[in-house]
Amino acid sequence: MITIYQVAYKNLLRKRTRSILTVFGIALAAWVLVSLLGFNAGYELSLSRDIDSLGYQILVTAKGCPYEAATLMLKGGTGLRYMPQSIAEQIKKEPEVEDVTPMLMQAVFDPNKGESGGYSAYLGVDPATFPKMKSFLQFKQGGWFTAPDAFEAVLGYEAAELEQREVGDLLLIAEKEVEVKVVGVLKRTGTQDDGTIFLPLKTVQQIFGTDNKLTGLGIKLKKDANLAQFEEKMYQLPDVQVVSLTQVKQTIMTLVSTARVMVFSIAVIAVLISAVGVINTVLMSVMERRQEIGILKALGATAGDIFTLIWLETMLLCAAGGVVGAACAVATSTMTDVFIRRILPYSPSGGLVRINPQLVVLTVIAVIFIGLLSGAYPSWKACRLRPIEAIRSQEE
Amino acid sequence: MTAREWKRFASAFLLVMFCSTPVLFAAVGCDLNDPDRDVARLFPGSSGYTTKYFTIKEQGGISLFAKIQDRLGDSFRGLYETIDVPYTVYEVFSGNQKVGYIHGVNEKGRYGGIQVFLVLDLDGVIRNFYFQKLTSRYAKNLRSEEFEKQFIGLSLKDFYRYDVVTGTITADSGVSRIKNPLPEAEEDFRAALRGTKKNLILMDEFVFGNRYLPYFTSRGDRTP
Repeated sequence: MITIYQVAYKNLLRKRTRSILTVFGIALAAWVLVSLLGFNAGYELSLSRDIDSLGYQILVTAKGCPYEAATLMLKGGTGLRYMPQSIAEQIKKEPEVEDVTPMLMQAVFDPNKGESGGYSAYLGVDPATFPKMKSFLQFKQGGWFTAPDAFEAVLGYEAAELEQREVGDLLLIAEKEVEVKVVGVLKRTGTQDDGTIFLPLKTVQQIFGTDNKLTGLGIKLKKDANLAQFEEKMYQLPDVQVVSLTQVKQTIMTLVSTARVMVFSIAVIAVLISAVGVINTVLMSVMERRQEIGILKALGATAGDIFTLIWLETMLLCAAGGVVGAACAVATSTMTDVFIRRILPYSPSGGLVRINPQLVVLTVIAVIFIGLLSGAYPSWKACRLRPIEAIRSQEE
Repeated sequence: MTAREWKRFASAFLLVMFCSTPVLFAAVGCDLNDPDRDVARLFPGSSGYTTKYFTIKEQGGISLFAKIQDRLGDSFRGLYETIDVPYTVYEVFSGNQKVGYIHGVNEKGRYGGIQVFLVLDLDGVIRNFYFQKLTSRYAKNLRSEEFEKQFIGLSLKDFYRYDVVTGTITADSGVSRIKNPLPEAEEDFRAALRGTKKNLILMDEFVFGNRYLPYFTSRGDRTP
């Protein structure tokens, strides 16, 4: 015997094009919803990962120049401000500090990069502390420097790929005309380290004539240390800028959440539009089938049977739309990632859109629920039809 | 729309969705830094361009990878000359008419990466030569107009007579007219020639339908 589910399915197939277009509308809304929720989860995770991968919680730089990268891009090496290396020892004595790692960023203008030249940046790091703080870094080839003042370089994977360098190759520091030997190539990390050329701190100081100078100091605190109190203490130091990476994260998240609210509003509108589309489709279907519903009732179908039948049709439409939309969101998550990266002023490395099975199931359930709400009115309208009036209505 | 049409539409839609998803962490390619500016400069008289992407992996896989190395006369080396390197080909137009191509490759130099860009006409003949990036002590000499001009008019036919391993050239090859500006720059000079030959072979495989394959000789000393 044919079941009520089969009847509902066959009814939808009778108006195939209309059903597919309705499913398409629901799918679009589900697609946007899954992608946005995936972005919501992915962005925060990637940002946290990026900040955690720095290996330290606080970055101290010379005052007036908190963002080395921006200065390097705008002015090259000339715009950098320095702080004395002695500050590292001073800060290390603080009881909250587990370790510090001094850094010196330098840049040279390479006239042979592109048509009008470009900058190459080098990060001088302390071989005694930096690898310890970045213990998650792994090598594709080689290892860290053999001596604190060796003329050696360790390259992030992308930097090595761009320079086509492997262990044992030479690397020329343009402008200074100094050769360093590549001793290590890091594995990909998905962070800014991939594009970095690391040299021993002392070597950078020697090459660039910046003895006892630093551009940054990474501070790792003990687990029980009070971050806010320590920051306050750092602000007392003269001529330094304190960048708390937790603050950076919060600031970026605040900026992103503003944009996110707007996009979520659009998603809600998309869902509402698709809900109206469902009401319209099912209502039209009910109106066209008045006579048929009348006959069903005359043959003994109860109001509950009719309500269930129409509701089932709605549920099938919404379930199909939800599944197709979620599948599209999963399939295009990488493309969405690329698209978001293009429009956002700042995006962390790693995946920005993370869609997990729970999210997919939750969205499909939500879409079905909204669909069932939308289908309630047409179903109620159908079950309220009087058999005689319904049968006559077609004849008129 | 019939059921069959719907099936076709759905299949095409899903295919586009899945196939167009880019792969993260692919090998690094060689793109023009500023295509709008660079294409106009490298190809005077052009009015626009389109971009196409190729990888050896997608175009023919392992067998093509082996064939290209055979044609080059040298094996691809190290961490970066891999089967999945994306190659960007700029198709250059003047109005609606295609007038040529621009294509670059990464090559390993003595002191760093070298990016060798070739501007080719529709027959695969070099119209212009450009080092987009050249980390070398002798970059000034190698990036000079005199040096770059020496490549103009040559094609893969000429470069087959150049052995990228030994750096030797058959006398009747146009490559013999390309002179190293400084003896000290020998390593980078040879890297430039290897990059050029690799570039031309890749273009022949990807774009010119192996037009120059008949000229191929494994030793570079036989005529077609």
